[in-house]
Amino acid sequence: MKSVARCLVALAILVNAATCFAQGLAERVQEHTLKNGMKLLMVERHNSPTVAAWIRFKVGSVDERSDERGLAHLLEHMLFKGTKTLGTRDYAAEKPILDKIEATAQQLMAEKVKREQADPKKIEKLTAELAALEKEAEKYVVKEEFADIYSRNGGSGYNAFTSKDGTTYLINIPANKLELWAAIESDRMQNAVLREFYTERSVVMEERRRSYDAEPEGKLWETFLADAFNAHPNGQPTIGWMSDIENLTRTKAENFLHKYYAPNNAIVAIVGDIDPQKTIALVERYFGAIKPGTPVPPVAVTEPEQSGEKRTEVIGDAEPELMIGYHKPTLPAPDDYVFDVIDMLLTNGRTSRLYKKLVLEQKLVTSVSSFGAPGSRYPNLFIISATPRAPHTVAEVEQAIYQELERLKTEPMTHEELQQILNQLEFEESRQMASNGGLARNLTEYEAIAGTWRYLIEHRQRVAKITPEDVMRVAKQYFTRQNRNVGYLTKAEGGQ
Amino acid sequence: MSSISNRLFSKSTLVRLATFAFLLAVGIPEANAFRSSAIAEAKVDAVRGPQAAAPADPRTMTFPQLKFQIPKTERVQLKNGMIVYLLQDRELPIVNLTSYLNVGSIYEPDAKVGLASLTGATLRSGGTLKTPPEKLDRELEFMASSIESGMNADNANVSFSTLSRNLDRTLTLFAEVVREPAFDPARFELAKSHAIEGIRRQNDDPKGVAGRELTRAIYAGHPLGRIPTVATVNAITRDDLIAFHKRYFYPANMILAVSGDFDRTDLLRKLEAIFGDWPNQSAPFPVVPKPNEEMTPAVLHVQKEVNQSVIRMGHIGIDKNNPDLYAIKVMDYILGGGFTSRLTQEIRSNQGLAYNVDAYFDPGRRFKGPFIAETETKVESTARTIKLLESLITGMTQAEVSEAELQLAKNAIINSFIFAFEKSSAVVAQQARLEFYGYPKGYLDNYRDNIARVTRADVLRVAKQYLRPDAMKLVVVGDEKKFDQPLSVFGKVQEIKLNNSK
Repeated sequence: MKSVARCLVALAILVNAATCFAQGLAERVQEHTLKNGMKLLMVERHNSPTVAAWIRFKVGSVDERSDERGLAHLLEHMLFKGTKTLGTRDYAAEKPILDKIEATAQQLMAEKVKREQADPKKIEKLTAELAALEKEAEKYVVKEEFADIYSRNGGSGYNAFTSKDGTTYLINIPANKLELWAAIESDRMQNAVLREFYTERSVVMEERRRSYDAEPEGKLWETFLADAFNAHPNGQPTIGWMSDIENLTRTKAENFLHKYYAPNNAIVAIVGDIDPQKTIALVERYFGAIKPGTPVPPVAVTEPEQSGEKRTEVIGDAEPELMIGYHKPTLPAPDDYVFDVIDMLLTNGRTSRLYKKLVLEQKLVTSVSSFGAPGSRYPNLFIISATPRAPHTVAEVEQAIYQELERLKTEPMTHEELQQILNQLEFEESRQMASNGGLARNLTEYEAIAGTWRYLIEHRQRVAKITPEDVMRVAKQYFTRQNRNVGYLTKAEGGQ
Repeated sequence: MSSISNRLFSKSTLVRLATFAFLLAVGIPEANAFRSSAIAEAKVDAVRGPQAAAPADPRTMTFPQLKFQIPKTERVQLKNGMIVYLLQDRELPIVNLTSYLNVGSIYEPDAKVGLASLTGATLRSGGTLKTPPEKLDRELEFMASSIESGMNADNANVSFSTLSRNLDRTLTLFAEVVREPAFDPARFELAKSHAIEGIRRQNDDPKGVAGRELTRAIYAGHPLGRIPTVATVNAITRDDLIAFHKRYFYPANMILAVSGDFDRTDLLRKLEAIFGDWPNQSAPFPVVPKPNEEMTPAVLHVQKEVNQSVIRMGHIGIDKNNPDLYAIKVMDYILGGGFTSRLTQEIRSNQGLAYNVDAYFDPGRRFKGPFIAETETKVESTARTIKLLESLITGMTQAEVSEAELQLAKNAIINSFIFAFEKSSAVVAQQARLEFYGYPKGYLDNYRDNIARVTRADVLRVAKQYLRPDAMKLVVVGDEKKFDQPLSVFGKVQEIKLNNSK
């Protein structure tokens, strides 16, 4: 790495220096693909005797059908519950009870979904039976054994997350214990048992209440997205609507699991104090024999072109918030790079256009941000979000944002603005490498959504070629009233 | 809950990235680095046998010894008394600097609560005598450098990060910000207006309301229990900021921590050059009384029409010099730390009553910090969950923990110690904080051994001594019409009326 750093210092011209450093990452990532399709990305860093290990499955909430909404996320929780050997005292004895639980829970759901026509006595009886069975099953459970083993071995940051695009399992582990990670994760990939399913489903309902129902901003976000997409599952909440969660079953989760959570849909990044050749051997030994599953089929539905502005109001016990979203293509479409430039022009830092105009000059908002969301595998939205400052209203802020967007259509980006963006990207390229976890995140994310982690090294070169005309053209094409979605939070009447 | 957006690189933290949940995590990432700061060692790991060819059993695997030494940082004192910690790391062409000053909101007057926070914000945003704010913003952002400042209860923090080729200029601007901030009147008014908007919005998130009200209840009558109001913020003038800065910003009151791609000799020479003629001050620090240590129970309710109640409970706890710190860390881990804790296993995993539940002592650095237990549950199980939480806390005081629990906690703390040293910027900042807060010599070196010595009897003893389930302040934000039982079952209920305009 020293040579790379020196090469940077030696070069005076920024763009050249940039290329030099990008090659640093290019040289440091080692790739290996297993016969079963699992992709392994490694970066050797000996800063500390630690390793970040991330497993990304290329299946997320966009891959759910309408009766599966929330499944990828619930499954993420369920995969913490153990395997046929971990998390259980005796799987052979446990399994028949788990099957009875499933049958009883399904009967209960079938009755409950009749709503007014449901038989309360039957519901009561089944509920009691389910509780008794769950109590019985508890005898066989070794609580949180994955977490227990990882923790006592010094694992740190053990977690998982689900997005529209994928599901990721991550841990940081002392470098001498990488084999423990391989043993646990290969077992999880092949032998997961979804025990304690219906209790965990209740946990997810609490998660939903905590992040969306009882959190006005979360509710606005969820509603805004749902309204922005008429057809594409990008609009459906990753956590699922409450009634979706209430009707998810272990059987559905198992089907989803067995189809997709397989090595051919997995990308693994191991970053830190490793020997890549030994790591390949280790991964081959533990994961090499796992059978591939079904490739995740592309989402067939296409979002129809929006035929007019959509406005979403959420009334809540909170002060106003505003978000404005425009449909746009996703990476690696050329226009997506232009949106990255627009994003930074508009809101990156105190010198950005919207910050200067809305925060510093007109004092309409306390903060303004922009980003692409909610997922990246399919066309998404360019979103601008702002927090109005009283007594200024959502309407005033909205108009001020539109004025700046109009300016983008007519006033060319300056050379200095583009150079600043390139400088910022150069800094971020280095910064992302400062932590094992951050780098593992970016490698798995871009390998999954862009098809190659090399997106990370090519990105700045692509941005460097964007012209002021590109920015004006894209602004004119996408920032139209017809393509616009506006969401805002209105304080409930009678609130303070 | 993570709030990571799907963008290539994270942008500067200047703008608040809202709580949009792009990602749903299975657990809530540990937030407080100091909480889990500690310490672990290789010698606890068993020595592994010959490399097995067959896949190993995670329950019984053994491992080779881990080679680890706490990274050595260098400590230098400048002629003016300023202390500098250095850790060179040339992997990336970046330099990070952070600094701590002994100042904070504990020193602001009652009538001007918010002064420290405004001073911290405007120190950087208000530009310097040589470089007006717009120029400072422009110059820094063009270089992709950032300087940020802020003030907390008991410290000010001014930091920068920069590409190493821009180190000289960024350092010069940093010195201007620290030594001669201009507190530009327009930027000051802007910061004030944002503070007032923040007050208007302080009741929007039920979790924020509950946390704030618990702190106010535990630290009633003490500077740590104050919150800014529109009146106290309006009372603050630009001259107050200038005076606050003048009184507390001087070299002997400041510790720097620098890491990354720099040349040691060159950097020290520059630090002497830019800070060498900065005079020290001698005004004595105001005496801040200790918080009231008498613990009295209370039940506080805030009405919100939501489908989930936020539950917070706690009381005053310990400070960092407490000799029982290590036993308390182990107890914390068993009661409320992570997926394996008693609280998570019972309330979340067994009963499905909550997504988030934890409890911990926050060891105070200057004053005793709080013990806090927290969770959120659907309104219909509010009382049931409070009772469970209380009984699990009480349980710690009634019987020894199991040997398995003790070993898990100790191994987890000891073996994850290395993660406090992953980044050179974190290593050097940690050293600076240890000196800043006056931690005993050898604190880090002895940490693992101190944890390793904790026994089951110690855990029971500290639980009895420091946990006071009978004297907790309980705060519930939720819809009382839908509670399974009225909160009066826990004691006399005091209603807190929310007000955004005070």
